[in-house]
Amino acid sequence: MSTAAATRPWRPRPRLLAILVYTWQSCFPLKRWAAILMPCAGALLFGLLARAVDAGPDRAFANVAAEGIFGLVMPIAALVIGDSVLGAEIRSGSFYFTWLSPAPTWQIVLGRWVGGSTVALVTIAPAAALAAVIAGSPSSAGAAFVAAAVGSIAYVAVFIAIGCLTRRTAVWSLAFVFLVERLLGAALTGIAQLSPTWESRAIFVGLLDNPPNRLRRDGIPEGVDAIVRMLIVTVVLLVIANWRMRHLRLSGAAD
Amino acid sequence: MSIDVQTDPALATDATVEVNAVSVWFGPKVALSELTCSFGPGVSGLLGPNGAGKTTLMRAIAGLTGVNEGAVRVAGLDPRRDRSVHSTMALVPEDEAVPGGLTARQLVHYMADLRRITDREAPDRALRTVDLLDVADRQVGTFSKGMRQRAKIAAALVCDPGVLVLDEPLNGADPVQRLHLIALFKQLGADGRTVIVSSHVLNEVERLAERVIVLVHGRLAAAGGHRAIRDAMDDTPRHMLIRCDDSRRLAAALVGLESVSGVTFESKRDELIVQTLQAREVAIALPQLAKSASIRLLEVRPLDDSLESLFRELVR
Repeated sequence: MSTAAATRPWRPRPRLLAILVYTWQSCFPLKRWAAILMPCAGALLFGLLARAVDAGPDRAFANVAAEGIFGLVMPIAALVIGDSVLGAEIRSGSFYFTWLSPAPTWQIVLGRWVGGSTVALVTIAPAAALAAVIAGSPSSAGAAFVAAAVGSIAYVAVFIAIGCLTRRTAVWSLAFVFLVERLLGAALTGIAQLSPTWESRAIFVGLLDNPPNRLRRDGIPEGVDAIVRMLIVTVVLLVIANWRMRHLRLSGAAD
Repeated sequence: MSIDVQTDPALATDATVEVNAVSVWFGPKVALSELTCSFGPGVSGLLGPNGAGKTTLMRAIAGLTGVNEGAVRVAGLDPRRDRSVHSTMALVPEDEAVPGGLTARQLVHYMADLRRITDREAPDRALRTVDLLDVADRQVGTFSKGMRQRAKIAAALVCDPGVLVLDEPLNGADPVQRLHLIALFKQLGADGRTVIVSSHVLNEVERLAERVIVLVHGRLAAAGGHRAIRDAMDDTPRHMLIRCDDSRRLAAALVGLESVSGVTFESKRDELIVQTLQAREVAIALPQLAKSASIRLLEVRPLDDSLESLFRELVR
């Protein structure tokens, strides 16, 4: 190393940035990327499927996207991302590298969430938009992108919070998606109002010019109102995750 | 209750890590039970059989595990509540888990960033200390067990910790690295750092630490210099199982030996259990005794030569 370089003032990266970069470098090995990209490929197949529906392309894509993309693809891909940024690391035993540091817990939670959300924004959201184009409904691409983006970052917050609350993150996350959101959310509007699946669907429907009426649901805000609702839910979940993060009882991988 | 630091070997005179009446349990399993001890500058060994509570104690000291009763203080701070304590304390856990996608250099730099280390040379220095500088740009996931262990040690050393907690740090290390790491830990202790090293191998702890805390079943079994611990173990009676073709006659002959303090005849299995304080002498005398009495020895084995049984004797 040159003398000039050695004497140059040197400052470490800000902790939040260090956690963010670590999240990208460490939490997404190739297998995880494959698990994220597979459901994204499924979104494209749903786009193709919409072409086979006997209706106008906009209407056909809206129906297929509501069930297939926002109800299935997005939760599964976001679950893999959310589990990768926290739950998987806690299970493996390597989370102590981050946790046993003077970094405030809110920076750990925020860094992990931003890391996971950026991955969701470059995978799930573009896949949803591309599915609209494949379905022959390019005018729906923007709405699909925004709905998938907001829904998936809310989901990442959900799964981070679950990772802080439970040890079996993947199991509890699946239970949340399929039991709480799909079953209870279908029956109870109160739950649907807080659910990323139902709210992202409402964002999508609200942003379309002429959405099918069957996708509208009473008591659930649509469009921009639903985006605001989801952002509030996301913030609340991150606050819960931060509170739990302080009290984590980390055990080793062998435990 | 007042504790005399001068006379209680479990307590260090200038303690940086204090464990005060700590109990930890996981459901019905008690991992630590009213444990009181402390650690000061220098290398302290934490010795105990598997399941003794060593790892739980180390995790409690590091703040990874909360305690159900009692208190842990590191430099006067609660490691569970005050995260600033992690600026000067580092843990190297026994688990092999490492962020496999990172290179050793990235891992050590990450730890340096989290602790706001302003010395740009610190990461490379830490890697050089554990002989990993040449492979610093290889992913940690491709490392051998011993190399992973050293990568974790480098990640701990980068913040120049005042308190270093090492759980079975020599696991997986080859003999050369073992010597190197032992010398490193001793040097860190000599520099005034509090180094706590756990092991279930007595010889290993003897080479590392002047002061030893022995845990058994989550309780303090013994504490003090390793020689005192070794002497205490040597003074405990040993049991030896003998099978031969004439147990009664051999039992009669053995009773005549000075080094034998008791002989039990297990008639159902036709075995002798010999109790002695001088197992070595008995082992030397036994073949001659059997030969002179024309008795054929079928099996001779120590019943309690494991470390676990010695620990059990200590807590009796």
